[in-house]
Amino acid sequence: MASGILQATGQKRGLVLDPRTKLLLLVTVSTFVLGGLGGDKLTFLVPCLSALPLVLLLAARKIKPAVLYSAAFGGAYLASLLLLPRLSGFSQFFVLGCTGILSRVMPGVVLGAYVVSTTTVSEFTAAMQRLHVSEKIIIPMSVMFRFFPTIGEEFGAINAAMRMRGISLGGGRAGKMLEYRLVPLMTCSAKIGEELSAAALTRGLGGEIKRTNICRIGFKVQDIILITLCVAAFAAAALAYMELL
Amino acid sequence: MSTNIVRKKLNRLTGKDLINVGIYSAIYFVIIMALAMLGYIPVMMPLLCVIGPIAGGIPFMLFLTKVKKFGMILIMSIIMGIMMVLTGMGLYALPVAVVSALIAEFIWKWAHYSRAGSSVVVCGFFNIWMWGNFIPLFTNPAGYFSTRTEFGADYEAALTALLPPWMNPVLLLSCFVCGVIGGLLGRALMKKHFAKAGIV
Repeated sequence: MASGILQATGQKRGLVLDPRTKLLLLVTVSTFVLGGLGGDKLTFLVPCLSALPLVLLLAARKIKPAVLYSAAFGGAYLASLLLLPRLSGFSQFFVLGCTGILSRVMPGVVLGAYVVSTTTVSEFTAAMQRLHVSEKIIIPMSVMFRFFPTIGEEFGAINAAMRMRGISLGGGRAGKMLEYRLVPLMTCSAKIGEELSAAALTRGLGGEIKRTNICRIGFKVQDIILITLCVAAFAAAALAYMELL
Repeated sequence: MSTNIVRKKLNRLTGKDLINVGIYSAIYFVIIMALAMLGYIPVMMPLLCVIGPIAGGIPFMLFLTKVKKFGMILIMSIIMGIMMVLTGMGLYALPVAVVSALIAEFIWKWAHYSRAGSSVVVCGFFNIWMWGNFIPLFTNPAGYFSTRTEFGADYEAALTALLPPWMNPVLLLSCFVCGVIGGLLGRALMKKHFAKAGIV
């Protein structure tokens, strides 16, 4: 999985979207589903936008994540429908919390994973340049997205090593958990970072001259449809806010 | 004239600086996000302003050892604000982050990018951006909870009881104080580990 993030060139990619469209979709889904913009009046929007990551995953021919996503989402929905009326007290609270997290956070997370797994660093950079974002924001952001899977990988390895030494919950040395995980993580991140910046310098990052980019990005029919959808959602929210709807 | 140009070049952020910002932003963001998931337990919600800055202090103090130019803390703060917008936490964190980062930048500049005592204070000011996420809870609680109805009345009641209006400045202060504590923790860890390993 790690190698797939932000390195999708040379694969069969299915439906290709402009990175700018993807970012707009991400903002829309997270503000409406996770942030809950629109409130009570626009409740129909939330299931529609929650279905969006599924459609996009299928369109990008990522069948396995799509199946997992729909199973988790359907499970949470069924649990809230069938289990909640029969429970009370703490167990109800617990189930409510779990289904709440799943149905609210999942669409945003899955869409975020879709965005980073189908966008290459070059495409992201090109899109950001077209948006006239400063290079001082583009470079750290692209490094950051490139770095997330590395952190996950390193953390997994450190976690396994520390569990073996009994530094985990229930391992008898829980007090050292934070220090003994964060310190090795940052030590190796600092080293990897130095190597990364050396690699980037050889590619001409941070030079005096403006870098060129051969990525072809641009808005196509599918982009226009999705952008219209996002704009319509925000317009509906604005109308609801002004109590016209 | 020529020395002016040289100084300008020295003060400009290079690719290496920007990459450093990206790497430490990634570590910081992962830690904060992992902790933020605890916010679904009502008691943990205000406590995020305590554990977040403390845990985040460790990578931030290491980051500060790499900051020798004006603007790096500001960029990291802006990125945190953008990530909050992208993850649907609201728009409030971005302006708060810019203001707190500017204060942190100036303190760090006056400390000539090296004084250990000031670095702890800088860490405190930087972490204030987290408070921005809590602003809608106080300015518009009805609106905030109307968007989170599926969490149920229990969650809402528990959170309202935990966060009366006077908690607003308390949270701001707690972000700062715990940021300072996190800075001290980070400095202690740095002395213990990173100096020995040659990272700093």
